[in-house]
Order: sequence, then structure tokens, then C-alpha cells
Amino acid sequence: MLSGSDTVYVLRYFDVIGRAEGCRLLLTAANASWTEEHPEWPAEKANQPFERLPVLVERSNGNEWILCESLTIERYLARVFGFMPTDLKQAALQEQMADQQADLLSAFFAQLTATGDMKSKQIDEFNTLFDRMVKEHGRILSRSSSKQHLFGDQLSYADISLYAFYKLFIVYLKCYQSDIAEIVKSKLTPEIINLILSIEKEPQLAPHFSKCDTMAAIFTAKDF
Amino acid sequence: MSSSNVSYTLRYFDIVGLAESSRILLTAAGVEWTEEHPEWPQEKPNQPHGRMPVLVEKSTDGSPDFVICESSNIERYLARTYGFLPTDLKQAALQEQLRDLMSDVIVLFTSQVQCKNEEDKAEFQTKFDGLLETLINVQTKLLKDNGNTGRLFGNKLSYADIVTYGFYMTMLVSFAGFKADIVDVIKPKLTPEIVKLISVVESDPLVVKHKSRGGSLAAIVSA
Repeated sequence: MLSGSDTVYVLRYFDVIGRAEGCRLLLTAANASWTEEHPEWPAEKANQPFERLPVLVERSNGNEWILCESLTIERYLARVFGFMPTDLKQAALQEQMADQQADLLSAFFAQLTATGDMKSKQIDEFNTLFDRMVKEHGRILSRSSSKQHLFGDQLSYADISLYAFYKLFIVYLKCYQSDIAEIVKSKLTPEIINLILSIEKEPQLAPHFSKCDTMAAIFTAKDF
Repeated sequence: MSSSNVSYTLRYFDIVGLAESSRILLTAAGVEWTEEHPEWPQEKPNQPHGRMPVLVEKSTDGSPDFVICESSNIERYLARTYGFLPTDLKQAALQEQLRDLMSDVIVLFTSQVQCKNEEDKAEFQTKFDGLLETLINVQTKLLKDNGNTGRLFGNKLSYADIVTYGFYMTMLVSFAGFKADIVDVIKPKLTPEIVKLISVVESDPLVVKHKSRGGSLAAIVSA
């Protein structure tokens, strides 16, 4: 671990799952000293380096260091706390999954806001990308020995990022589109559902579920 | 870190698009590389995520090809492998956050272009304008704080410099296809510090042999 025991983190974001769940899960899994701040918005916009959230504040030895952009924050925390492989090729294989997930989120909003002829085109694009991603997750999982982790036999950045992604789509995005959880659930294979439920049973993540529900109750026997 | 036994193939369309930073990184790294323009969409199923760019790393030591995708992932992998991103995690993260901010600006631009509804289009346009202004302010401050040398960090060509150059290439050359007057709209917003970065990157000894299909970005922004 590359972080001193006197280092504390503050995650600034809105009080929603949104784009910060991966950061929350990483800080929890790392057993870091951290808290969350929900700045008054837009009053606090001008006080953030990129006028946006999330922002990570790291305080150590009287110094303060600030980082922006959810994916950069995730990759930084993953490296600091040992969830990212040090081998560059292995790291790239995990990072591209997170980038693919970000593309899916963009595609979700594109189909949500599209109108006219573009609507069905964007919906098709979203479905095609999502199905392809699920197939890719399945392919990686089929090569993993444990089936409870994407790579190796320990919780990795890829596992945490995948969990945050599915939680985003199954628990959060219904506030934008009421049927998205059912649409996404119907695309998942039993193996992927098993992976999601295994990740949330990781002891390192237990403190996270004292503050929110697990997804176990969302998947009934007929989903498997 | 670089090995003479390694060579690369970059698979993409024959356009500037989102691949220019990767092309420049490959050139600056001094490695052997070529470009492939697969038949599209026939070759879609043969790519890891069904999309491009894709980077294939081949080694003469008999190991299987290493294949990765996602443009910013390819850039980070090349930058780390060939020393354009610092090994210090904080220093690297400060560079990466700039690239992610630029990705967000690109997403807002494409969202605005794809929107047919006038009200939503106007909303995306406002968001795009605001975030581009934020980006330019952030970049300009870093350049000024670093002595206005045309480098965002330190005193040699960095990942941040290259992806910033690539971003403006995408905006001003690639996106002219979507918005004919984009150069006239964006050029006035560029600060002298950013114009200098573009010129310094393009003329860097490591980059100068890269002949972009987009032509000289430095010429476009200083005309």
C-alpha cells in the first residue's frame, strides 16, 4: 500500500450513486480513512478545479492534494491501494473495461435524449454495445479460475468497476428511465449475476453495505 | 523499456478521428508501427469491443499478440510503456485527469451534433461551450505556471502535451466534418499559451516526422 496511515480522503460528490460509486467502493475496499462531502450546488462549482464533481481531496502531513474526473480518481485509488496490477498489460486489460463501461453510459444518455429517427437508431446502438459488453464480460470470466473474480483470485479494480457499473444501471438509472433496470437484467447471464453477487459478498466491501442495500434481493431465482 | 523486438499495428479508419494522439505516441516512442484500415463494418466482430481504434502489439519472442482497445486506454498504455507518463502516481493522475476532461468535451460535442431536437441541442451547446471554456482555462493556467514553454508539465514532451495536441486536432480537423465553421468558432477561444503548445508539440524532434493526414495543426491555429 502506497498510502500513509495518517492519510485521509474526502470524496466530494452529490448524494447519489451517479458516477462516484466506483470511487466509494475502492475507498471502502482499501479500508482507507475517508468521508464524503456533498457540496452546495451550484454554489460550490467555482471552488472545484474543473467546476465539476466528483473531486478527491487527499490530506496527509498537513498537505492537501486534489484530483478530478471519476475515472482518473478510480485508477489512482486502484493503483495506490493495490487493486490495479503493476504489470502494464494486465492493467490496460482492466482499464479498457472501465472505458467500455463509460461508453455504455454515454450510449444510454444518447438513446434517452434522442428524438425522431435517431431514437430507434440510438436504442439499437445501446443494445448492441451492451450485449457485446456482456459477452466480453462472460469471455473474461470463462477464463478466470475462480468465477468470482474477473482476473486472478482476489478483488481487483475490474471487479469493483464492473459492480459499480451494474449497480448504476440496475439501481440508479431508473430515475432517468423507469424500465432500464429490467432491460439490463434481462441481458445478464447467470454467470454475470453470480459474479455481481460474489463481489458484493467480499469482506472488504462489507462496510459499504451498512449504508446501502445489496443487489441480492433484486435477482430472484428466475433470473438465474 | 522499448524493445527492438516489439512492433505495433494500429487499427482505425483512415481519418484523424480519435486516433491522432495514439499515432503521435507511437511515433514519439520510436517503435516500429503500421496502420491498418479494416473493412468496416465487416471486421467489427473481430475487434475486442466491436469498435476501433485497436492496438496490436506483436513480439518476436513467440508470445501471442497483445490486443487492447479504447482510445484513451491505448494512449495511457503507450505513454506508460514508453515513459511519457510519470511513474509517480500523483503526477500521472494530474496528467490523466486532463485527458478525461477532454473526453467529456468531445462527448458533449457529439451529443450536440446527434441531437435533432432544437431545445436539447441548445442545451448541449451551452454545456459544450462552458466545459470547453473550463478546459482552456485549466490548460492555460498550467502552461503559464510552467513558464509558458508550450509544455504542460516539466521540460520535456509529455503524455499531457500529446493528448492535448490530439484533442485540438480532433476538434479543429476531424469535427470540421460535422460543423463546417468549427475553426472560426474555436480558434478565437484559444489562448496564446495553447497555440504555443500546439506549435511546440508539432515541432518536437520526437514528433516532427509524423505527417498527419490532417495537415499542420500549428498552421491552422496560427493563421
